[in-house]
Amino acid sequence: MTHLLWMAVFAALTAVVFGMSAKGGERQKFIYGLKVFGEFMAIAFLLGWILYFIPLR
Amino acid sequence: MVANRIEKKKEKDIETPGRAWLVGLVAWAIPGAGHLLVRRWQRAALMGGAVWLMFLCGLWLGGHLFAVTSKDQGFGVLLALLPMIGNVGAGLLYIVCWLGNIGFAENAQLLTYEYGNTFLLVAGLLNYLVMLDAFDIAAGRKQ
Repeated sequence: MTHLLWMAVFAALTAVVFGMSAKGGERQKFIYGLKVFGEFMAIAFLLGWILYFIPLR
Repeated sequence: MVANRIEKKKEKDIETPGRAWLVGLVAWAIPGAGHLLVRRWQRAALMGGAVWLMFLCGLWLGGHLFAVTSKDQGFGVLLALLPMIGNVGAGLLYIVCWLGNIGFAENAQLLTYEYGNTFLLVAGLLNYLVMLDAFDIAAGRKQ
């Protein structure tokens, strides 16, 4: 749970900066920030599940 | 077509005001301060706050700040230099930590060590982005 929490904190903070530095109005920035956050989380989950099925030992 | 080219040439010819360089420097030194100088309060709070929070979380998680030392030789210098460039992006936060020898010890035994490293690196890299944003606003290239 701690790892998931820190991953979410990381994604949220990065999304804030990316969203604020994006072009467009307030609404567009907000949507872009949400998109970045969602992409970070989705890709992390996807990679996590892929790695889960790969035997490393 | 020709009008477009002339327009682009005019844009290139516009000189960057000296104040923009100062804003860029301040934005690098203190995350968020560049936006305060150009009176973008919301951006300063959100962007600067995100960088500060990320850096402090990185230290709290036991992350490691990189520096090139006399111990690094040959290719090892490059391995330490690249992440150091990322860390230096945090400006005075990095310099204060360097002066106080805070965060330079390697705590690889900690479970959150790699998380901390990533937080510290990305805090510096994000501050470069924040710095460029403040610079562009001060230069009149961005609203």
